[in-house]
Amino acid sequence: MRSIFILTLLATLFSQAIAQDLPLSTISFHRDILPILASNCFPCHGFDIKSRQAGLRLDTPEGAGALLDTGVRAIVPGSLESSELIRRITISDDSLSMPPSDSGKSLSDAQRKMLADWIASGARYEKHWAFIAPAEHVVPVVPHLDHPIDRFIGDAQAKTSLSISNQASPQTLLRRVSLDLIGLPPTISEIDAFIIATQSDPKRAYEQLVDRLLASEHYGERWGRWWLDMARYADSNGYSIDAPREIWQYRDWVVSAINRDLPFDQFTIEQIAGDLLPNATQEQKIATGFHRNTQINEEGGIDKEQFRMESVFDRVATTGSVWLGLSIGCAQCHDHKFDPITQHEYYRFFAFLNNQIEPKLQVVDSGVNLAQVTADWKSSEKDVLEFVLSRSTQLSHWETTLNDDARKLFSQEALAAITIAADKRTPEHKRVLFMVGLGSGDQTFRALNERYLEFRERVKNGPTTLVLEEMAVPRITTVLIGGSFTRPSEPVTPGTPSVLHPLEHSPEHQGKFPNRLDLAQWIMSDLNPLTARVIVNRVWQQYFGRGLVETDNDFGLMGSLPTHPELLDWLAISFQRHDWSLKSLHRMIVTSKTYQQSSVETLGHLSKDPHNYFLTRQKRLRLDAEIVRDVALTASGQLVATLGGPPVFPPVPQGAMRQGQVERIWTASQGPDRYRRGLYTFVYRASPPPSLNVFDAPDGFSTCTRRNRSNTPLQALTLLNDTTFVEFAYALEKIINRDGLEIAFRRCTSRDASQSELDILRSLDALSAARVLLNLDESVTRE
Amino acid sequence: MPYQIDSLHPQTRRHLFGQCGIGLGSLALSKLLGSNQCHADSEIPTAHNHRTPLEPRSTHFPAKAKRVIFLFMAGGPSQLDLFDYKPELAVRSGQPIPASFVEGKRFAFMDSSHRVNLLGSTRNFSQHGNSGGWVSDLLPHTGGIVDELCILKACTTDLFNHAPAKLLMNSGTGQFGRPSMGAWLTYGIGSESSDLPGFVVLQSGPRGPRGGAVLWGSGILPSAYQGVPLRNKGEPILNLTSPAQVDSARQRQVVNAVRDLNLRHLIATGDEEIATRISAYEMAYRMQTSAPELMDISGESKSTLDLYGIQDIRESTYARNCLLARRLIERGVRFVQLYHTNWDHHGGPTENLETHLPQVCNNVDQSSAALVLDLKRRGLLDDTIVIWGGEFGRTPMGEVRESTGRNHHIDAFTMWVAGGGFRGGLCYGQTDEFGFGPVANPVHVRDLHATLLHQLGLDHQRLSVRFQGLDYRLTGVNHARVVHDLLT
Repeated sequence: MRSIFILTLLATLFSQAIAQDLPLSTISFHRDILPILASNCFPCHGFDIKSRQAGLRLDTPEGAGALLDTGVRAIVPGSLESSELIRRITISDDSLSMPPSDSGKSLSDAQRKMLADWIASGARYEKHWAFIAPAEHVVPVVPHLDHPIDRFIGDAQAKTSLSISNQASPQTLLRRVSLDLIGLPPTISEIDAFIIATQSDPKRAYEQLVDRLLASEHYGERWGRWWLDMARYADSNGYSIDAPREIWQYRDWVVSAINRDLPFDQFTIEQIAGDLLPNATQEQKIATGFHRNTQINEEGGIDKEQFRMESVFDRVATTGSVWLGLSIGCAQCHDHKFDPITQHEYYRFFAFLNNQIEPKLQVVDSGVNLAQVTADWKSSEKDVLEFVLSRSTQLSHWETTLNDDARKLFSQEALAAITIAADKRTPEHKRVLFMVGLGSGDQTFRALNERYLEFRERVKNGPTTLVLEEMAVPRITTVLIGGSFTRPSEPVTPGTPSVLHPLEHSPEHQGKFPNRLDLAQWIMSDLNPLTARVIVNRVWQQYFGRGLVETDNDFGLMGSLPTHPELLDWLAISFQRHDWSLKSLHRMIVTSKTYQQSSVETLGHLSKDPHNYFLTRQKRLRLDAEIVRDVALTASGQLVATLGGPPVFPPVPQGAMRQGQVERIWTASQGPDRYRRGLYTFVYRASPPPSLNVFDAPDGFSTCTRRNRSNTPLQALTLLNDTTFVEFAYALEKIINRDGLEIAFRRCTSRDASQSELDILRSLDALSAARVLLNLDESVTRE
Repeated sequence: MPYQIDSLHPQTRRHLFGQCGIGLGSLALSKLLGSNQCHADSEIPTAHNHRTPLEPRSTHFPAKAKRVIFLFMAGGPSQLDLFDYKPELAVRSGQPIPASFVEGKRFAFMDSSHRVNLLGSTRNFSQHGNSGGWVSDLLPHTGGIVDELCILKACTTDLFNHAPAKLLMNSGTGQFGRPSMGAWLTYGIGSESSDLPGFVVLQSGPRGPRGGAVLWGSGILPSAYQGVPLRNKGEPILNLTSPAQVDSARQRQVVNAVRDLNLRHLIATGDEEIATRISAYEMAYRMQTSAPELMDISGESKSTLDLYGIQDIRESTYARNCLLARRLIERGVRFVQLYHTNWDHHGGPTENLETHLPQVCNNVDQSSAALVLDLKRRGLLDDTIVIWGGEFGRTPMGEVRESTGRNHHIDAFTMWVAGGGFRGGLCYGQTDEFGFGPVANPVHVRDLHATLLHQLGLDHQRLSVRFQGLDYRLTGVNHARVVHDLLT
């Protein structure tokens, strides 16, 4: 029950910020009562009718006050004596006391008192804050602060006698905002220029810097990757076989859309339903790849329908988390235990995403280097055919075991090949036969063959990408009992949860069921209380390490309350009014003093605002996995900064691709592709690239709205010994020898080294010094 | 020893204890409650000396067992040819299974045409030990240790395809992105090893297990808790070896300089993450020595090597992995998992019951039994749990393709557990005459998880992590119980 304790503690800390219009002693339902009820009571006395015990629900005032079979009422507003709830949470008899002792839950004395006070004062319920549209708030007036964000933050600080930290040094600020906006550190000349510019007009210098970074095409890479986490993007099919797939055009679409500052409403609509837009362009179809980043199970013996359903479950859960900040996925098997979403409503939502086929789109004018692909195809063909020819004896033996049943399962291609006399068959015929027979159980063959097929298709058909396409005749969607695809029950029509704003039918759809486009437009509706808040919060989280709502993908009843609710609403409304421009939102945040303050922690911070909920300083954040690579590439002068195209294969340690069932072939890229940004590294879901995985890059199995930031010995081993980082160290050694240690230090940290730091480095040989620089905590951290 | 914060530069100490005015306990606590939302229930995160992610932490109640070795038979062993002796199945072999058994059931390979006829085992079964447990002739060494084993004959699971079922066995759910058991354990109670990872994975057999790295992933927990594969070829841990031309002294110089510079920066910024990173580098450096030392089994006696059936100490085999498992837990590692492929005997050309099942049994039988015996004679079995089993079992019906096999089966299958307070010589659970479903004492995977955690001193209801508003647990939201019958 630690969490409740903390929530309560925080709530107390925030009482003024949250409930300005209430005297301090007043109990707030959301702040004080709901967390206690939701965590301890709702699992059995909540919204979910199936797990409801004793016919009691405590999530509505009607339910709480209802006359129960036992002749009592759980809550009688104003009367502790008549409220059964009070008796049951205070009784010493184990068989009666609530929550039950075997539930693993218990109430503290403070919580009991809080519930009692609440009931005594009338047991007032309030609608959940996140389901009410953001309200207009007047920006508070705070002396010496003009930026709206600073005024909201400063106002809350002032009420608790706290204040913002000093601005970070120009070097720190430059490095911070560069890493935050484009994911790359500044160059030496950029540092020098910025320092000079700040000497004459610091404010103007900084604003110009922000404008330059937002105009950089690398901005799309940095914030594109932020979105790709949520899209669960990766380059393979997942599950156990995990064959490569081609969907990088979707990745490039995201980077380009972010760079163009495609308004977020349009950005959303194209990804959810781009194919349904009038005269949909190729780009808009590519955008629907968002929901094709689900896994595909290629195991033998599966029921394809089961795994198609799994993809749809994932699409529902992802849509809920990413855009609504709700764990809708919880209602797959049962009514949601905490939030007002019934299982029936879940399947109505599901129905929107259940009517698609999943084709590959051939992409014209993709800008792919055909000569390179052809060369890859030829070499992969040679590899697989050589392998098959080396297994001729086994192949002949296998042919003798064939019976008619087995032949029935052959592809056309294989049937054609088997009718040719054995000595007349080409190597290609043999490959086809090997594929339908022995090959399915031969992991080496699979790896070679699947790579070959991938390149062959790319040459034959040009690059493709995975997209969604609406079916002419929709599937019938039913509620699935227990979430199991084998247990359909009543049919449902597409619809949205009733707790949220109503679904509007576009006029041309009158008389038909609403479709994905209607869903997309419903999500981006001005009436939606959630999406704008959820997105601004998630952007905020990138800059401060934590959102204004800490549970960034749960804005439901179990989620945390916003620390600065007025600011959250103000940002959400401002985002909508600025035509859903992400660039404007970024500019708004990074130009605030709150963002620009120092991240150094002092005695005062730790005693007065230990967890930084008042934002009395910035936060040091370890860089994202890809950016750890990008910084080392840049510092060592190796970065090849070209944008987009098929994923690349920087070196990985030998044997690293052997984690899944099939050991995947990883031929390290030579030439420029060896030095591309981490964003472009090929990601096999079952065998993720170790140097990214170890720094918490998401696995692509399900949506990731917030990365972990761990700090482990394996990270140390990677930075110390991984071939790639050793290559970087050799390159940085050359820089040390050419430009000196001071410059190398600045390339890694963007600041000048102190004399004592230089002394330590000077005691080492140049390669060691280079390795030390790449391993500094500071080099992999944004301060 | 972990990097001792007490030995930090005096100025740092002044900063941490003076200028900051607080102890490290609250620093660590602030980390737990601050930027990262993960926390377990009450006692665990408030342990005041929680400095590094893997530091040992207190349990919910006194533990019977301290560590786990999970021998994962990837693919799903045929319990009907190994443990679950069914004479009636042999009598009715070739006949269709009565419809009452299969109505409404689903199996993998639904399109396979020969799935309805019963298939008796051709193996010889006999009773072993004082307890009289049935084991077939395919596992003679296992038969020799039945009095140490708690054999669960009616295990059940929910999912019948490999990758999802493996996930369920490891993480309690078929959904991707949840922490595996080893991750839960190291998260909950840390590790007693200061120079090896707390959760180690070893692999043998012709291919990697289906599902891949996610099987030992940390899911929503930080990657500090994910399983670290110890590799049989090349360096045992990825990137363990210093770069060419960098000898140990030069590597030490680099690590020292990184530490000295990081320490200065810790003083300048007050960010305790830097202290964690300093510890991580110290452990990484120690691992560079301790992991090769661990892998070097040349010092093991001939009798020990013979016990496990290791002929060539350099050869990477399941037997060698069993010995390594013992060496790992001797060094304080909390959770060791061995995957051995391939047990997926469908009756295809390379996976049938006639030839390939005996081969894979032969791969694992002697050394699995040896591990139990070796632990016992060293006094380690009492507080070490050894688990043997796959992600599911196989059907009483045969699958006849090119040769004979059986399909995936989730209603009843066999696993065994030894040591760690589990009752030796117990056969728990019973299946019907064909071995199709349980008739007494089924144990669901979640029950097994709850029971394992119980022995390790953890209440499965309380070992939880708050993530995005929900409390996640190894045993999830469905019913799970501690099976006290299995425990001494």
